[in-house]
This record gives sequence, C-alpha cells and structure tokens, in this order.
Amino acid sequence: MSDIIRVENLRKVYRLGKVEVAALRGVNLRVEEGEFVSLVGPSGCGKSTLLHVIGGLTPPTAGRVQLDGTDLNGLNDAQRTELRKQKIGFVFQRYNLLPTLTVYGNIALACHIAGNRNGASRAAMNSIVKMLGLEARLDHRPAELSGGEQQRVAIARAVVNRPKILLADEPTGSLDTENSELVMNMLQELNHKHGQTILLITHNPEVALYSDRIVSMRDGHILESGLPA
Amino acid sequence: MTTRPVRTVLSVMAVAIEVLLIIMVVGLTHGVLQESTKRLQGVGAEIMVQPQTTSLFMGFSGAPMPVQIADKLAEVEDVKAVTPVMVQASTEGGITLIYGIEPAGFDAVTGGFRFIEGHGLESPDDVLVDDVYAASRNLKLGQNIELLNQQFHLAGIVEHGKGARLFLRLDRLQDLMGSVGKASVFFVKLTDSKQVAAVLERMRQILPNYQLRDMQEYVSLMIAGNVPGLSNFITVIISLAVAIGLLVIFVTMYSTMVERTREIGILKSIGASKVYIFHLVLRESALLTVFGIGAGIGMSYAVRAVVGMFFPTLPILITPNWIARAGAIALVSSICGACYPAIRASQRDPIEALAYE
Repeated sequence: MSDIIRVENLRKVYRLGKVEVAALRGVNLRVEEGEFVSLVGPSGCGKSTLLHVIGGLTPPTAGRVQLDGTDLNGLNDAQRTELRKQKIGFVFQRYNLLPTLTVYGNIALACHIAGNRNGASRAAMNSIVKMLGLEARLDHRPAELSGGEQQRVAIARAVVNRPKILLADEPTGSLDTENSELVMNMLQELNHKHGQTILLITHNPEVALYSDRIVSMRDGHILESGLPA
Repeated sequence: MTTRPVRTVLSVMAVAIEVLLIIMVVGLTHGVLQESTKRLQGVGAEIMVQPQTTSLFMGFSGAPMPVQIADKLAEVEDVKAVTPVMVQASTEGGITLIYGIEPAGFDAVTGGFRFIEGHGLESPDDVLVDDVYAASRNLKLGQNIELLNQQFHLAGIVEHGKGARLFLRLDRLQDLMGSVGKASVFFVKLTDSKQVAAVLERMRQILPNYQLRDMQEYVSLMIAGNVPGLSNFITVIISLAVAIGLLVIFVTMYSTMVERTREIGILKSIGASKVYIFHLVLRESALLTVFGIGAGIGMSYAVRAVVGMFFPTLPILITPNWIARAGAIALVSSICGACYPAIRASQRDPIEALAYE
C-alpha cells in the first residue's frame, strides 16, 4: 500500500506575544491508504496541532507534509482549502454542528461546499445516513439530539463527500461508554467496508484498540508506533 | 437571521426607513411639482407673459408688470383672451399660492370655475378656495378666513385645478401688496392653439423686454432639477438615508460575524473557501435588505395614505422608477456595509475560530 499521509521532520512553533512555543519538534509519520491509526499522548503533546497541520488548517513552521502525493508546502491558503475540501474530512470532540441547521442541512452543507449538488451526492448522503442510523433524525436540529447522535451526524458530514482521509480529534471525548462504542464501531465499519483512511486522536486506550496501529506522542515528538496490544 | 429575531427585525426596519425616506422625499417634491404643473395647465392658457428676470416658480417674484400690457396683448392677431394675474404666496399653514384675478377676464381664459358651493368674487373681501384646500382645513361656506393678516369672507368653494388654491380680486390683492395696477403674469388664450409659435413671434415684436413662454414649454421646465437647491436637498436626504442603512447593516453583520466565529471555523474546516464565506455574509445582508425594501415600499404607501387623509394639499408621487432606485440604493449601501464584516469573516484563522467560545 502507498502512503497517503507522509510527514517528514515537521515542526510547528506558535508565537504567544514574545514567547515561542514549539508544539511539534521534528515529527515523522507515515499512514498508508486504508489504514486506521490512533494517535495517543498526554494533553499538550502536539496531537491536535499535528492533525491541524495535516488537515491544512494551519501551515507548518518547517518540514514537509504530503497528502495523497501533494506537498502542502507548495500550496497557498486557497489551495490548501481546496485540498481539504476534496480529500479531508474532520470530526471534532465537540461535534461542531451548525445549530441552526437540521441534521439534513448539516450534512448537505458539506455537499454544497464541495460543489456536489447532483443526484450522486444525494445517493451518497442516503447511503451514509442509513449506515449511521440517522434516517429518523434528518429533520431534527443538533440541540434535539443526544451526544452520540450529534457525533454520528458529524461523521456523516465528514465522510459524505468520500474524502480520502478522515481526521478525528477526540471523537469520543464527550461521549459515554455506550455511545463511544457505537461511534468507534461506525468508524471501524467505515474503515473496513469502505477502506476509509482514519487518523484519530484519543486519550482513551480502549478507543485506540479499534485502530490498526497506535502512534504515541510526547512533547512534540513521536515516541513509538506499534500494533494495538 | 432567525436566531436573533429582534436584531433581524431592527435591521429590516432600518433598511425600510432608508427606503421610506428616499421614496417620501422624492415623492413629496415630485408630487408637489406635478400637482402645481397640473393646476397651471388647468388654467387653459397657451401663452404666459412674465417679467424678464422672473423666477421659474411664481409667487416669489412680486408683481412688476403694468396691467395695461393686457390691452396690448389682446390686440395681437389670434389672441382670444388675456387676463392679468397677481400671484402671491401665503405662508399660513404651509406655502399656498393665492391668485389675484379679474373674474371676467380669468373666466374668459379658463372657461370659468365650476362651483361646488357659493358664488364668485362679488365684494373686495370675498375669497374663493378650491375643494382640496377647503377639505384640508375643514372650511365652511360663509366663514371668515385670515389671509395676509386680513379677514376674508369665504364666498365660494370651487373645483380644484385652476392655477391656485385661493383666489382674491386682483384690485384687493394689489392694494394689500402695495402694487396698485401691477400684475405678476398674463395668461393668454388663443383662438387656435396651433398658432402658439406665430403668436409668440408677434408678441415679441411689441414686448421685447418680457419673457414670453409657450405654456407647454414652461410646464416641461417644472422639474426638481430646475428648482434652486432642491436637487441638493434631495441628495442630502438620500445620503443620510444611505448612511443609516449602511451603518445598521455594518453593525448587524459585524456583530453577527463575531457571534458566529465558531461557525466560520466549522465552515473552514469542512472546506469553505474565503470567497464562499464572503458570499455567504453578503447573501445574508442582501436577504435582510430585500425584506427591508419590501417593508419600506409598503410603509411608503401607508404613509402616503395617512398624509392624504390629514394633509390633502400635500401630494406624494410614488413612481415605479423611484421605487426601483430606492431599492437599488438600499441594496448597494447594504452590500457596502456588509463588505468589511464579510472580509473579516472570510479571513478568520480556522483554528482560532474553532476555539472561539
């Protein structure tokens, strides 16, 4: 399998006034197409920053990130946005749904932004809604849903355009055990049945067990990478 | 828009007031001008004679012409009737034109008044008013009216459309204004209305130092652009209205964008470009404006109806042309007001926006 994500000697420094904070200090990471990788580590070790740089939300200070063969260093902000639109789906701990839109509206918004307004996107939407068990909730607003349902909507929104990479930042961080299992089973199903590449951040060792490989981070470095125990 | 209904309604109302202001100011000025023009046409003369330096708008130029000129004009070939009129503006309860007329001569030119009540100007203290003026002040036949600091007896109420709203005897008005034997204008009726050019040419031979006008040409000059200062006044009011709309939309969209910072971060995370977010903000402000324009047009018609009930002498002319212009002005000002918030929103850093509480 080829690498769909390749990170080489990645550094990211934030400036807070006159103070510089190094969030990533020479990170190297490879993720193969169709792989499900968990990124674990203590708070502040740089996991989310790594995800944001890979997702093109913020540029690196140094080093290289290649996504599906495209080097992010050569892209400007608009090109990174375009790449994100076409190849990346994000899932966040806090769901990040738009409160004024219904479930259908939230998912359709991703199709609209991606420019998919035809029958094909409707078919993809129906399929993902069915898979995530959201058929009966399409007309509800986020405030009317449980946390687990909201996160399923967020997953549906992230994958409806069939992105090559799904980046999930603590997707079970706000959920109880039952809903966490439900969400992780769905992510696993997406990975196994549809070959969805997933890079997931978690604090929870039980959640990390759902992945093919676990990568540990500390102080802006990758410590080790290995199969789940 | 629906999550903050009060703010939405206030924004819509601000745009509505902007549209209302434009339509009302233009409607009032054009309405008054059009109405004056119609009344002047209602006199029925083909030619009017004025002093060389007179204002386009009668009532403000005094009465510097000797009435004997009427005799000279009457001798010109193809002239059927001539009547001298003294025009005086009364400022009691708003600016109203008073015509000082010689009843017989005025009737010969105009075809005569159509009386709704009462009779003509029989005594020096008689006054005639038109039906619109009478209704607006609830006047009753026979009552006394104070005009130019004098008491007059309401002798008749006539159908509107004969030049002015109030009519006194010419000699009485001349006395009051200290212009005995003088007139402000002569209205000339021809035997054949197709002979205007020829008659004007003949009149210029005998009255080279007077302004001789084809009535149709004069009427065509009665537009806002020819009224000194009126165009500037309209421009100032429109500018104020535009400033109101622009500022309100700016504040609304700016505060909306601050409130929705996190949503902007979400949109960016799912691939929304700067252009997409910029358009999103502009579309929202445009939608607010469209509602505001609709409300403003509705309010304009409502205000016109109310003004018509309480001030019948104040005509408001609402034209599709100015409705379209007011709408376009409101739309452009709103889009300008929304531009800065839209640019700010589109340039938000997605990570900072996602972390916004």
